[in-house]
Amino acid sequence: MLIPCPFCGHRDQAEFAYGGPARALPELDGQDGTHAWRTALYSGYNPRGPVTELWFHANGCESWIQITRDTVTHRITRSCLANPREREP
Amino acid sequence: MTRLGRGGLIDRSSVLGFTFDDRPLTGHPGDTVASALLANGRCLVARSSKYHRPRGILSAGLEEPSALVTVTDATGSTPNLKVTEVPLRDGLKVNSQSAWTGLDRDAGTLLQLVSRALGAGFYYKTFIWPRNSWHRIAAPVIRRAAGRGRVDLSFDPSNYDKRRRHCDVLIVGGGAAGLSAAVTAGRAGATTILIEQDHVLGGALLSSRDNIDGLPAPDWVEEAETMLYALSNVTVMPRTLAFGHYDHGLVYAVETPHSDSVASAILWKIRARRILLAAGAIERPVVFPGNDRPGVMLAGAVRSYIRRFAVAPGKRAAVAVADPAERADTAAALNEAAIPVVAEILPGDRPSGTRGRLHLQGVRWRDATGRHHRTSCDLLCVSAGWTPTAHLFTHLGGRLEFSAETQSLLPSAETCGPLRPIGGARGVLIAADCVDDGKRGAHLAMAELGIHKSLKHGRSAPTPATKRGFESGRGSTFIDLQNDVTGADVALAQREGYRDVELIKRYTTLGMGTDQGKTSWTNCILEIASMTSRDPTEIGHATQRPPYSPVSIGALVGTETGSRMIPIRRTPFHRIFESLGCVFQTSGDWLYPRYFPQPGEDMAGAVERECAAVRSSLGCVDMSTLGKIDVQGRDASQFLSRLYCNDVETIKPGRLRYALMLREDGYVFDDGIVARLDENHYLVTATTANTSSVWRHMLKYAQVVWPDLDVALTQVTDHWSSLSIAGPNARNLLQALDPDFCCSRDEFPLAAVREGRLGGELPARVFSASYSGELSYEINTPSGFAETLFDRAVEAGAQWEICPYGLETLDVLRVEKGHIAPGTEIDGRRTPGDLGMAAMASTEKDFLGRTLLQRSALQAGGREQLVGLVPQDRKTPIPGGAHLSDQPVDRNGCAKTLGHLTATIKSPSLGHPIALAFLKDGIARSGDLLWAHSPVAGKSVRVQVTRNCAYDPKGTRLHV
Repeated sequence: MLIPCPFCGHRDQAEFAYGGPARALPELDGQDGTHAWRTALYSGYNPRGPVTELWFHANGCESWIQITRDTVTHRITRSCLANPREREP
Repeated sequence: MTRLGRGGLIDRSSVLGFTFDDRPLTGHPGDTVASALLANGRCLVARSSKYHRPRGILSAGLEEPSALVTVTDATGSTPNLKVTEVPLRDGLKVNSQSAWTGLDRDAGTLLQLVSRALGAGFYYKTFIWPRNSWHRIAAPVIRRAAGRGRVDLSFDPSNYDKRRRHCDVLIVGGGAAGLSAAVTAGRAGATTILIEQDHVLGGALLSSRDNIDGLPAPDWVEEAETMLYALSNVTVMPRTLAFGHYDHGLVYAVETPHSDSVASAILWKIRARRILLAAGAIERPVVFPGNDRPGVMLAGAVRSYIRRFAVAPGKRAAVAVADPAERADTAAALNEAAIPVVAEILPGDRPSGTRGRLHLQGVRWRDATGRHHRTSCDLLCVSAGWTPTAHLFTHLGGRLEFSAETQSLLPSAETCGPLRPIGGARGVLIAADCVDDGKRGAHLAMAELGIHKSLKHGRSAPTPATKRGFESGRGSTFIDLQNDVTGADVALAQREGYRDVELIKRYTTLGMGTDQGKTSWTNCILEIASMTSRDPTEIGHATQRPPYSPVSIGALVGTETGSRMIPIRRTPFHRIFESLGCVFQTSGDWLYPRYFPQPGEDMAGAVERECAAVRSSLGCVDMSTLGKIDVQGRDASQFLSRLYCNDVETIKPGRLRYALMLREDGYVFDDGIVARLDENHYLVTATTANTSSVWRHMLKYAQVVWPDLDVALTQVTDHWSSLSIAGPNARNLLQALDPDFCCSRDEFPLAAVREGRLGGELPARVFSASYSGELSYEINTPSGFAETLFDRAVEAGAQWEICPYGLETLDVLRVEKGHIAPGTEIDGRRTPGDLGMAAMASTEKDFLGRTLLQRSALQAGGREQLVGLVPQDRKTPIPGGAHLSDQPVDRNGCAKTLGHLTATIKSPSLGHPIALAFLKDGIARSGDLLWAHSPVAGKSVRVQVTRNCAYDPKGTRLHV
């Protein structure tokens, strides 16, 4: 695959490490979040179609990026930095 | 000799010598092994794999199912090459492969007598009893009989390479459509790559008498080629086979350069924005009884041998070609070679058999009116139609659909991703139409890329097949010649319920040979359709996967062999260690010191001496490979506090703490030290093996999950060299190195960090942390000063006989102390409690993994815990990898396991063997006597359970 990195442009998949589907993790607030953590870690979805996921540009800019990829066609429709504070509006 | 006196694309002025089954033969440059064999009158070149039937050369291209040989040159031998794909070189040794005594007298032909019993599934059904009979008796015999060539096990001295290219438009195939597309794209300014499997461009045009744009086809090819070589934006790659199509425009191709090239094969990864698949079409044989006899040849191949290679493949020819124009062209070609055409078998006729022992001697058939005919001939030119070479279209999930109009499988869509089949690959067979289709394909690609605007261009229709095909008489018909799959096998599969094509393929092995059924798949589908009256369109086709044609493993491996497999990392001390005669070993990416032998000393001796030095006086070891991550920022404490299970925020500036990092699921991920250099400045270490995953993990949480924390991470692993000095004299040495900070026991206690200079000018960070169990300081200095630091340490340490030590001693010392290491103890299944470190997990704060660590299964009793072991007799070594049990092994060598060993050593400090192990309820079993069983070593040892720390359990030596 060719993965579009917001910093580096289209780069070969071999430069990236897969980070799994993008998922919201519970807060570290000291509460008993067992259910929330279990859901976040183990109740992943595995759709046939577009999925939003994280990739780490290990042999590049070392950014975590978030892309939307179709699991059937591998078409990548969106790519941005995974850091919500550095994402363009 | 059957070489024609003139014509052809061969160089008669030069003669190449080669051998076939040790008989010397000759050919010319421009020949393939196939054409050279035919020119020497040799048609029988192989025996079939199952029934050992004589087989000849069917085709002139990569689709060849029968004529497989072993080719030997200076670099060794390669089995299972198709004679049609090997360009002739001087000195080649060609050998037939699946004959028992010789091609002419093959003992295996006896199998033909019982062939009726050897149908599909025969071996599966027959050799199932008694158990093991398949592996012990049947398989070796059958594999020998059915075997193809033998693999050459000797070292392959050839060079292989991997290279990459990028382009706007990649064109696969240099025939009419491909050349026309390349010229169109090249002239419009697109960066264009044309790859052609053959060593010359032209494809079928090389043996065509058609006119294109008013020029004879070969002249048109030459003109197009000249134009392509003149365009600087066009790269022409002959001898290159595109064998796989992958995501986002990636095509893998293998180039087999000229024999005088340094590389014997080059793997190309070509990334293209648009791909035009112009791979042409493959001719389909006629299925009838006896259709596998040497002398039966595809009509297109006959034309190619006559016109391109100037070889007469026979003396008397019969023609069974479905398409009238091709029939006439074949007759014309035979006429050019002065081969009389003695019979024409027409569509609707029913060929009913061939005769001849090792070569075709005659053919018989019944015509549409029912009259029987027979003729004697030694060449039968067959063609039932054409199958588009659309394999690359299907590699990414594109489907082919059977078309009644063309009687072949056609791509079901115009494109699959960036790939568009053109010309023969989508069923367009007439040369002029292919040229048009190539132009259209190139224009469409460039309009899509915005190189020029959209042009209106009519689409050539796939060339229809004749309404009527050949019928088949009764008898044994071969559909897949390579795997000896007959019509009867396909019928048997149908009867036994294997109706799906994927099942038929696996049950009969049709299409599973090295040719992957290039000539047989369409015939199989038509055969099923006629047997079952099913519509061929619903039968579908078996999945086609890369590679399109076999690729040498050497090309896939490329240069990545031996020491070039992965880049080797060396620490800043490497050169100096080399000068000390160090023995190195690989440790992950690193080349790391294993031990430092003195003259005449073996490893055991060196390790014993190194251990003794550390325990009694002073040793030093390279710790540079540890991951070092610099953490700064207002929220650095908060960030690390969330990542590590320890109380990080209570570490005072100038102090450090041994800390555990858990995964989100509560298991131990890594261990290391967290050193607080300043209020908002930390340096943390990761184990060598986990450095990159810890770094990735930390960046993920900094960038993705907690972006609101003010923290900056820098990996400084390579910036600092690290030399750990360990032993009772470690403080004396540090003192002697003249630091500008106080290093008394009270001023610089255990678990502290100091920054300063040694000897007034050498910058250093010193961590008082111990892995060995002795008083120890890890002295870090910028990498460039590593050798200076080492020289000074050795010079100043000489009075305490400082001894450099390596990984072996490091491991012995840590096992004596019961310290954990990644991979063995940190194996992804352990909680802090399992490792005896439950107290390290803070109860005062939340951290990653805390919640799921509380799950009952992770807290319940009965978990495996880290313990130490000693042999009951204090003498017998405990075998590595052993399993622990409270029973001896039973008669079958079995015993219920209670855990397993992670490390075992002979402890020099204690004078007896010890081991570390995970044991169910291990802490509670302290003192118990168990068995350590190693079925691998064939040993069982009585062991006693101890605490994991065998040496100085109170840690008094850390505070001397």
